[in-house]
Amino acid sequence: MAEFGIAALSVTPVAGARTTATGKALSVVALRKTYGDVVAVDEASMEIAAGEFVTFLGASGSGKTTTLMMIAGFCEPDSGTITVGDRDVTKLAPQKRNLGFVFQQYLLFPHMSVSENVAFPLTLRGVSKDEIRRRVGETLEIAGLSGFGGRKPRELSGGQQQRVALCRALVYRPPVILMDEPLGALDKKLRDQLQVEIKAIQRELGLTVIYVTHDQEEALVMSDRIAVMRNGLIEQFDTPRELFERPRTPFVADFLGAANFLPGRIEQHTDAHTLVRIDSSGGLIKARRHQLPSGTQVKAAVQPGRLRACATDDGFCTGTVETATYVGTLVRAGVRIDGGDAPLLRLEVPAGRGPVAGERVGITTDPDDVNLFPTEQAG
Amino acid sequence: MAATLTTKAPAPPRKLLASRRTRAGVLYALPVVVYLLVLFVYPIFSTLFLSLKNANGSFTLHWYADALTGVNLSVLFTTLRISAETALFSLVFGFILANAISRLKPLWAALAMLIVVVPHFISALVRTYGWIILLGDKGLVNETLTGLRVPGAPFQLLYNELGVVIGTTSMMLPYTVLLLYGVMRGVDRRLLAAAASMGAGRVTIFRRIYLPMVAPGLASAGLLSFILSLGYYITPALMGGPKQTMIATLINQQVTKENQWNGAAAQGVILLLLTLAGLLLVKLVSSLGASRRKRSAS
Repeated sequence: MAEFGIAALSVTPVAGARTTATGKALSVVALRKTYGDVVAVDEASMEIAAGEFVTFLGASGSGKTTTLMMIAGFCEPDSGTITVGDRDVTKLAPQKRNLGFVFQQYLLFPHMSVSENVAFPLTLRGVSKDEIRRRVGETLEIAGLSGFGGRKPRELSGGQQQRVALCRALVYRPPVILMDEPLGALDKKLRDQLQVEIKAIQRELGLTVIYVTHDQEEALVMSDRIAVMRNGLIEQFDTPRELFERPRTPFVADFLGAANFLPGRIEQHTDAHTLVRIDSSGGLIKARRHQLPSGTQVKAAVQPGRLRACATDDGFCTGTVETATYVGTLVRAGVRIDGGDAPLLRLEVPAGRGPVAGERVGITTDPDDVNLFPTEQAG
Repeated sequence: MAATLTTKAPAPPRKLLASRRTRAGVLYALPVVVYLLVLFVYPIFSTLFLSLKNANGSFTLHWYADALTGVNLSVLFTTLRISAETALFSLVFGFILANAISRLKPLWAALAMLIVVVPHFISALVRTYGWIILLGDKGLVNETLTGLRVPGAPFQLLYNELGVVIGTTSMMLPYTVLLLYGVMRGVDRRLLAAAASMGAGRVTIFRRIYLPMVAPGLASAGLLSFILSLGYYITPALMGGPKQTMIATLINQQVTKENQWNGAAAQGVILLLLTLAGLLLVKLVSSLGASRRKRSAS
């Protein structure tokens, strides 16, 4: 969970980098689906702009795939509406929705060549033969598959097959392309490469994409906005940076940032900051100014990468480094805080300046990197 | 044979049969080879020789000329026609049945397959008599149709080509259903969903995705029922009239009634050649289709 950290953040597009295309591509209002007593999707609502890359991120059973399937039309919602452009498609069959879909299992037609696979949706739309040839060639070229047109799907590697599936979904320029964990069946290296490729194609062609994954890093790398889902609810729908830096629930802080949670009580407010007395160490941690009244029991969430080791009198608490693991560019440290039996505080610091096991350290952070959540809300 | 070879153990290496594994392989294969030689290769060649031999033992093509002229030729054509009709109908009904079964939940599908296959454990003779009882003038089918005042009832459902085709089709159905069911179960249903997501309607999905994917199964099921029908004996003999005499019946008559083994042998060889031709044809058609697809793709 903590593998991403700094490296992933630096390539994450910020809010302003959204594509120039405007207008609403898809909106979902109060979508609900139950299976027996289980609420798979609970009143999900969102609006997606044209040209936007949106990811549904969540663990299995969070409702992300069900939501996608309802948008695609493979699964009927109990209530709510789905609008593509200005068209209400809630009651339409999948083939009438004019959406693109990329499946995890590629699902290329085995009896057709690569070209025929990509041409298939065009032939359904009565496009002329010359035009089909031109667009298939063009699309295959974008995906780096020129020269593979005559091959059968089984003659291609997994990564190539998924590229063909992507071509097949975008060749007819559907207003929205849905992708259900398209890289889930590929190995890590290929996944990383295809993430960048898909993102580049999406940006270049201004595609509107809804992407489902359980991989936080993948979501952060690719998305303009991410809907973090849990138990059928959208916990937060925001840009990666907002989710990462301003998580609205402890779940989001934990799921995306692998945050450390320090239980404490709000002691006082200053103009710019809120001071929290940490239960375990008795130290004061400075957070961004928060609305909650003094005396409220809170959890202060700080990501491992935003904590720093410092001199013992400078931090909000002190402790002993219990573990320090070198992981390439970073050192991951576990610090036992003095004066309590709280779990190890996890730190990620650049290698070279890292603490050593057994060292006495103080811990400090920027107030901006501390998020406070009232304890009642803890889940 | 293997024993004599094993005694030559210090033979130079690299020679065939030198390694212990090869020698063991030959030993294992031996029973099968002997079995095939005695019960398959020898009878075929003796039939072939029989069909080319005159009464005095000299070479002749007389029996083939005889088998390919007059009544014998028309019997041959009848055989081909009835077999083709049987193949067609068992394909159509087999397709409908297998398609329906492949959509059932596994437990129900297994039960349905059992219902299709179990009758096949009963002797073909018994099943044929069953059909004769059902399809007779006073049989269940005609009684029902007369009861419903269907115009023209009772129909002649026996001792004509219709009767034969009904009988043989029902005999072939388990084979086609089994074959097609296997192929259909192998079709990933999500492919059909994928086609739908691209905008394909049900008819298009069936025609351009489903049918091409089950086509190899259709070809082999059709061929199998055609070949099996070619040599079918009991059902055509009992459910057909004189006009539906098939080649197997003719062969039987020649042997049992006329003691004419040479003519029967010639017809047997012709039947064998027809079967091989059928196999070759399907192979040719499928490879032609593949090469055409390849050309259109490039």
